[in-house]
Amino acid sequence: MSVKTEDEVVTPAVPRESRRTTTSAASRWATLLAFDKVGAVYVWLAIIVVFSIWVPETFPNLMTAKQILNSNAITGLAALSVTIPLAARVFDLSFALNMTLCGVAVAHFVVDGVPLVLAVLLGVLIGLVVGLINATVVVAMKIDSFIATLATGSLIQALITMVTNDTPISDAKLAGGFATIGQTTVGGITLPVFYFAVVAVGIWYLLEHTATGRRLYAVGFNPDAARLAGVKVARLQFLALVTSGVLAGSAGIVLASILGGGSPTAGTPYLLPGFAAVFLGATQLKNGRFNAGGTLIAVLLLGTGTTGLGLANAPQWSGALFVGIVLIAALMVTGLQRRTTLAARPAALDEPSHGDDATAPSKDVSA
Amino acid sequence: MRVPQVDLRSGTAPDAAPPPRHGPVLDVQHLSKTFPGTRALDDVSLEIAPGEVHALMGQNGSGKSTLIKLLAGYHSADPGAHAEMDGVPFEVGRSVPDGLRFVHQDLGLILELSAQDNLALHGGFARGRGGRVLWRQQEAETRRVLAAFDVDLDIHRPLAAATPVQRTVVAIAAALQGWDGGGVLVLDEPTAVLPHEEVERLFEVVAEVRRRGTSVLYVSHRMDEIFSLADRVTVLRGGRRVGTYDVGSLDSRSLASRMVGDDIDPDFRATVVEQVDQPVTIEARGIHGKWLRGVDLEARAGEILGIAGLAGAGALELPYVLAGKAGELARGEIRLPTVSPDWYDVQRAADLDIPIVPADRQTEAVVAEFTVGENISLSALRRLGSRGRLSAKDEATLVRSWSRRLGVVSTGPSAPISTLSGGNQQKVILARCLAVSPRVLVLCEPTAGVDIGTRVSIYQIIADLAADGLTVVVASSDEGDLLALCTRILVLRGGVVAEELEAEGLTKNVLIRAIEGAEQ
Repeated sequence: MSVKTEDEVVTPAVPRESRRTTTSAASRWATLLAFDKVGAVYVWLAIIVVFSIWVPETFPNLMTAKQILNSNAITGLAALSVTIPLAARVFDLSFALNMTLCGVAVAHFVVDGVPLVLAVLLGVLIGLVVGLINATVVVAMKIDSFIATLATGSLIQALITMVTNDTPISDAKLAGGFATIGQTTVGGITLPVFYFAVVAVGIWYLLEHTATGRRLYAVGFNPDAARLAGVKVARLQFLALVTSGVLAGSAGIVLASILGGGSPTAGTPYLLPGFAAVFLGATQLKNGRFNAGGTLIAVLLLGTGTTGLGLANAPQWSGALFVGIVLIAALMVTGLQRRTTLAARPAALDEPSHGDDATAPSKDVSA
Repeated sequence: MRVPQVDLRSGTAPDAAPPPRHGPVLDVQHLSKTFPGTRALDDVSLEIAPGEVHALMGQNGSGKSTLIKLLAGYHSADPGAHAEMDGVPFEVGRSVPDGLRFVHQDLGLILELSAQDNLALHGGFARGRGGRVLWRQQEAETRRVLAAFDVDLDIHRPLAAATPVQRTVVAIAAALQGWDGGGVLVLDEPTAVLPHEEVERLFEVVAEVRRRGTSVLYVSHRMDEIFSLADRVTVLRGGRRVGTYDVGSLDSRSLASRMVGDDIDPDFRATVVEQVDQPVTIEARGIHGKWLRGVDLEARAGEILGIAGLAGAGALELPYVLAGKAGELARGEIRLPTVSPDWYDVQRAADLDIPIVPADRQTEAVVAEFTVGENISLSALRRLGSRGRLSAKDEATLVRSWSRRLGVVSTGPSAPISTLSGGNQQKVILARCLAVSPRVLVLCEPTAGVDIGTRVSIYQIIADLAADGLTVVVASSDEGDLLALCTRILVLRGGVVAEELEAEGLTKNVLIRAIEGAEQ
């Protein structure tokens, strides 16, 4: 009976090294620009082309580009503030209300005559405290983060109403130094865009180039395995929520400065766009991992679309419609891709261990 | 060779049970399957006789899984195959005849639901007018279906509370519902999720299925099961059929060599020299936990200490306690005398950084979304780079050297871990533990779901590490692991050390008798 030898059984195992020597720069670029990694960039470019043809007078110019950046910096900051907890698969649904709270608090302090720097520091401190409360409820009390941060969000809402009595805080004092935080422009680009860039780079570095970032992902994907591999799961989840509190609080202060006062509903509109951008971002670059670069691409894509629709005088509701469609399409396409990759997997490596195909994709939030 | 059993249960079968047939009940010829770049199955034929238990064996990557998936209609076959069920042709991979039923490895049950609900999800609810469920009738049906298998189970409690073997029985009953004998039941590695001592119970269930006149296609890694259960065995290797044999004509050695291709010894024993003059590297005292009731132990450098015991004896709990990963119930103290003379409470023992290879690879060890490299480096990240920065170069070096040392077969460090076979995933987890250069390593079920070839290579790796001075504590419900590896075995009963056995000259029978206790 003719039977293959053991070596042939493992044919798919071509040593990586031997293949890499033949890999040219061209094919490296090909993987870098592959549709399944940066599909949103192509969609973004397509959108730019479409609007350039649709509204050639107002869309394709530098002013529009600046407008897109300026009007989406807060969405970007909001999205980044939940990127770290989501990487560890912890939800922070309270972030939008946290933004509002820190915004009205700082406005309140400034109106009361507290020096600007101190007022801002106190605002950030409030964000930190909110983060600590979230972390305590989720990690120490072991309540599911989705429902726990919904509950703390309700507590924050109570505080906001207590401080503002549901009326916006506005005062001449707010037009002074406080307004410069968010309204100063450099070459037509407002400061919040730079804040967004700095935070994005920071989170990118943390998630890609530190051990902590790698551990955050491990906690997100399989907390039991991470714990047994020596990762301090609870501590990372705790820190992720505290970071999110600080970042969301800071974003709220910037937002209040842009608005020139403390609105009791300022943060709420950022809840859905923030999460939309992070989840859309997770479909980009890193195959289902929440990441800063993907979030950046997503914010630009969504912002360009909504701004373009505005310039084209499309009806009010078209922006929300656009965000919804893009999100569903992106998640569907990446889900499909993952499934076909699994199906085309070489069967010689396809024997079940314990879970097999059925378990792998189901854990993935984005699929 | 087997007298077909008369179906005693009912005379309602429309096409009354066929008289004893001589042809196979399932006949598959020239079955092939090509995936991009790989011929997973190459001209394989399979004939299953009525009422027989037919084993399908092969290592990881032999094509067993592909064959089952083709039969289940999950993949489509290459053209050229021919298949018949009870003489009726069908197209493999496109349609699944009603007489062919499957119990997959994950059982396909919903653990939050009761046995009754799970059976009803497969077989349909008994319903009255307006879609109302007739619960009384449903309950009677559930009891009738389960009665044949003699299973003592509260049919209203969620299956999560049932034992693994009870779940398996429910899955088998669900697969066989509405069926009066004949046909083929495919059991895909049913014992992979069962504790060792419950395997016997499963065998009785398989015997009951056969008594009904149903053939069983039994997929397994474990050779001892084949010998106590199967009539014939088809062996696959590298996607081809090596042959089909009467089990009586084989012994474990000849079967193993047919699976692996060269003369491999299923009774492999690593040569580990006991080091009496070496220092003690780990001591534990007063270990209590969910099952443990006061265990003391010590082990020396270069020693491989085995932990044996039935489920509930605490043998599989002990490794987690030693690694500082047990629940809040755990009490006791541990120290590593060669590192520090201080005793650590087990709740703080995580600080001792004793790595563990956990029992359940998929849920406790592998990060499925990570690459091979990321899985290897996970525990050692702290040593790669400096001041929090993770050095890609250091990581690549670490991953490459450990993959090479343990012989991990993959397309490279950036391959997703899910593309690896079970045995190779286990090597990755072992590499993760070794990458922190431990003095003590704890293993729990180190070869669960690992094929025999890889199993022997894992034994050899562990033995080599011990020869270099590593202390290894191995807990396993597979006596083969303990006999192959250990210098000394602690047998736990009722949460305490009941016996301590020297491995020298120890036989499997003596070990099993010790595990089961004096009264047996």
